[in-house]
Amino acid sequence: MPAPLLQLDGLAKSFGGVQALKPLSLELAAGSILGLVGENGAGKSTLIKLLSGLHQPDSGDILFAGQRVAFSSPRAALDAGIATIHQELEYAGRLTVAENLLLGESWPRTFFGGVHWGRLHENAQRRLSEFGIDLPTHAPVDQLTAAEKQEVSIAGALARDARLLILDEPTASLSAPEVRRLFGHLARLRERGVAVIYVSHRLDEIFEITDRIAVLRDGSLVSTHKTANVSAGQLVHDMVGRPLDQVYPRTRSGELGEVILKLSSMSRAGMFRDISFEVRAGEIVGLGGLVGAGRSELARAIYGLYPVDTGTMLLRGKPWRPRGADAALQNGLIYIPEERKRQGLVLDHSLGETLSVGFGDTASRFGLVNRRREREAVSGALQKYDIRATGPAQAVGTLSGGNQQKALLARWLERDPKMIILDEPTRGVDVGAKAEIHAHIDQLAGMGKAVLFISSDLPELLGMSNRVLVMNRGAIDAELCGDEMTEHNVILAASGLSQAGSPDTDR
Amino acid sequence: MQYFERTTKSVRHRLLFLFAGCTLLLGFIYWRTSLNVNSSFAAELAQIPVFLSPVIIAGMGLTGIIYAGGIDLSISSMIVVAGTVFGILFDHGAPPWVCFLGCYVTAVGLSTCNGLLVRMLGISPIIITLAGLQFYRGVALILADTLMPNFGGGLSIQKAAYQAPAKEHAAEILAVVVVAALAWEAYGKTFRGFLALGCSPQACRIAGLDPGRIRLTSYFVGGLFLGVAAVLFVTNVQVIEPARMATGFELGVIGAVVLGGTNIFGGEGTMLGTVLGALFLYLIGQAMLYAGVSEYWRTAIAGGVIVAVIGFDCAIHRRQKLLDELR
Repeated sequence: MPAPLLQLDGLAKSFGGVQALKPLSLELAAGSILGLVGENGAGKSTLIKLLSGLHQPDSGDILFAGQRVAFSSPRAALDAGIATIHQELEYAGRLTVAENLLLGESWPRTFFGGVHWGRLHENAQRRLSEFGIDLPTHAPVDQLTAAEKQEVSIAGALARDARLLILDEPTASLSAPEVRRLFGHLARLRERGVAVIYVSHRLDEIFEITDRIAVLRDGSLVSTHKTANVSAGQLVHDMVGRPLDQVYPRTRSGELGEVILKLSSMSRAGMFRDISFEVRAGEIVGLGGLVGAGRSELARAIYGLYPVDTGTMLLRGKPWRPRGADAALQNGLIYIPEERKRQGLVLDHSLGETLSVGFGDTASRFGLVNRRREREAVSGALQKYDIRATGPAQAVGTLSGGNQQKALLARWLERDPKMIILDEPTRGVDVGAKAEIHAHIDQLAGMGKAVLFISSDLPELLGMSNRVLVMNRGAIDAELCGDEMTEHNVILAASGLSQAGSPDTDR
Repeated sequence: MQYFERTTKSVRHRLLFLFAGCTLLLGFIYWRTSLNVNSSFAAELAQIPVFLSPVIIAGMGLTGIIYAGGIDLSISSMIVVAGTVFGILFDHGAPPWVCFLGCYVTAVGLSTCNGLLVRMLGISPIIITLAGLQFYRGVALILADTLMPNFGGGLSIQKAAYQAPAKEHAAEILAVVVVAALAWEAYGKTFRGFLALGCSPQACRIAGLDPGRIRLTSYFVGGLFLGVAAVLFVTNVQVIEPARMATGFELGVIGAVVLGGTNIFGGEGTMLGTVLGALFLYLIGQAMLYAGVSEYWRTAIAGGVIVAVIGFDCAIHRRQKLLDELR
């Protein structure tokens, strides 16, 4: 067996005291494709960043082509022969495909000193066809599809003699035929002796294209398998691997009331399709799936931030055609967005100001705010929702993540909503605050509110919900309740390997 | 055709609009001048290069800077310094060509200096050049005061030889510069590099280009144009007054660039658009003059036109841009 192309020896990295990657050793041979899997936060992106020169390891060695290498920048990694295609592609959109491909090189000139455009496009065309890619070289890159842009990036990387290609979730925005095309390219690269690290949540793709699979969990390498010798079940077991030791609150009676929200065949091109489900009063419905599966898009469409192409919604029995946040609030529907720092909170505002956005109008008349009434309402809310702060004047940005989230919840709950959509409410929140948020969500359901709960944290999703819907590529792939509610089933459905029947047959 | 193929639809539409607009305005002016025995269309046309060539040429230089993602707000003050150097050389009895060369080199040097400051200090170009707008005018006054013994706030230049570029050859110079610049833009790599930088500095870095260096080059190339604009500007005025000369000139130039379809945040634009944009703004003013619109209204309307054209354009293309963002 020849010496491996890439050899990682005890590579480790921590950020601010958190060990993101525990000492890790791994080998990769030329002409092979390694699948890298693991849940969010398992350390995949840290590993990629170390290999692509974005971060430098705290300890350990990277041996590439037999030599010890240290990359001070992405450029250095690229020069050494390691190219990374990130999910977010970098390209000069107004320039043509040919110009983008040959941007860093000298361009052919005519006798008069001008660029020989004809030859430039010939060169670009030759380079593309060398890798079996067929694209119009005259088109500005902006006008290409996501898949075509990716092909330009890959061709560009290979043209610089990359010997290791790292693909980070390359199929996140590709359609099925485009995925086939990408796999065709990867198979050809394997024949040329290029090594590939393929990072994906989609286990079906991992099984199809890779030779070996490495599983990361909590920053360490759990196992490596030959793809041919491993089952999906084994892989998922390795990925999950943790005991379910956390207890989730279940004080609510479990009795369900009337149907609060009912969706029928909702579709929106490019985001989600044929979504039907209902949420009852007192029920927590979990919505699982991979990032980009269309969960947040669906939530925003229900709230009225995106229009819907087809399908109908009923809110408390009445047809619901959302026209934006105002209408949603008035009808008792609230949505707490995923990225609270960007979409939900003004960090410089004081806690008092933040809260009173939600119920300030109940304390005002003729556009004038009754300051005293507002103050009372705010301090009432602080107590009621147990928001730990020095007082209403503290800036929201200085609160802990958990308290920020509680403030965001408190802001809207004073309005007595009927239906609450929570989008990743515990992301980036410490364990203690997480438990408190869980308790609040449980209480909300106990108060007879309907909750749609989006989360990528599987134990939490399963522990909190009455039943779980799993989305994959814009559609609901499985509806799990009772004994079916296991991490195993959620991962299988989310990655397109669902054994369970379609949601329609469950109902 | 290559030139147009690689532009986007919105840029092409803007060029078409400006071309049609300029033709219509010229038609209107022709009609008005033919009604009046005291005015002649030929004289009106001959006047265009004299007044407009500094704006067009400085605008073409600024186009490259802006679509590389930078900006230069200090062009009027740099012209003033260049003009002051011109005046000092004249005052010391230098021959015309030395005066022109001094003026040209000063403008190129100052623009390059802006580029160097942006690169080395890493401060936003808008702040550096906003400071330059003040600073350079001060420099001009200090230079004039210390190097011209009889400087009394203004220097009158009344010799034909020293005014030849603007008064006699403006049309030829303008034609040569415009043709050369458009050819450079169409057949050179330089401007494609600027565009790439304006689109994505990260992509340039990945491709192995040095973004800081491209930005510096854009200021140097902008300076090459600004120098010609400065010579044409200072040989047109009768009196060189550093304190007042060219005030607000940069706004007209930026207006022409933006009206011409160049994205103020970089990454998109054409020099042809800037030429047409400058012409359009000028012709609107002249047409209003012939239509008998009062001076106050003309000034206000000139500003309104920029907002109206770009606002209208954005409204048309907004849907497309939204779709692009969602994709």
